[in-house]
Amino acid sequence: MLAIEFGPEGGVVITGRLDASEAPRAQSFFDQVQGTVTVDCSQLEYISSAGLGVLLKTQKRLLGTGGKLKLTGVNSHLNDILGYSGFDQIFEIQRAR
Amino acid sequence: MTTSAVFRRSFDSIPEIFALTEKTFAREGIDIRLLPTVDLALEELFTNMVKYSTTTTRPVQVEIVAIDNGVEVTLTDYDVEPFDVTKAPDVDITLPIDARHPGGLGLHLIRRLLDSIEYEYTKEIRRSRITFRKMHSGGPNGLATHKGGTNARD
Repeated sequence: MLAIEFGPEGGVVITGRLDASEAPRAQSFFDQVQGTVTVDCSQLEYISSAGLGVLLKTQKRLLGTGGKLKLTGVNSHLNDILGYSGFDQIFEIQRAR
Repeated sequence: MTTSAVFRRSFDSIPEIFALTEKTFAREGIDIRLLPTVDLALEELFTNMVKYSTTTTRPVQVEIVAIDNGVEVTLTDYDVEPFDVTKAPDVDITLPIDARHPGGLGLHLIRRLLDSIEYEYTKEIRRSRITFRKMHSGGPNGLATHKGGTNARD
């Protein structure tokens, strides 16, 4: 199950599992964001290539208008996935403490 | 004990697959730390079957068994053309963002996170079987075993 919403400081808070069954809903949400946006991933338990596709499509769009996504609170498993995907070269990533 | 279940060819089956892995890991005492990688591999292989084997409506069978120091999972797809996932090309992760697209990323990822993945196709009954293993001491250091069969899409 995935929950995705705007946080109190204007960032995005994403909770749960971003898999292929949830990717269309996540994409609809991210299609609304503008500018430079911090995505709090500290409660993101799981991501698959479908979820990575959502982040990639959003990052491409935002970079085209001078914005970007920043990923924070990234756990060890997610960090491995981002690294093996080469997304650590595409996104600014802050690991979970 | 082997846990076996069949799943409808739909992305809507993914939460049901995750429920099966969680329940099986708990019942069989499989290390929960292996679960995210097993779920990822199952999702990527299952969605690949759903997306590319569109000539069949038969469900996909998933079998999970605890093995020494890890877990072994088999996906079986009936009445399909061969597609050897072990021979799918890697993604060039060094490309600039404008040249990147998500296609192929799932298989690229799981080949790095699993300890082994094998593909077998039985032509007479048009059956694809993919078996993978995830061990405590293995990955993410690349595959120990990488064994494939015929790939009709090469």
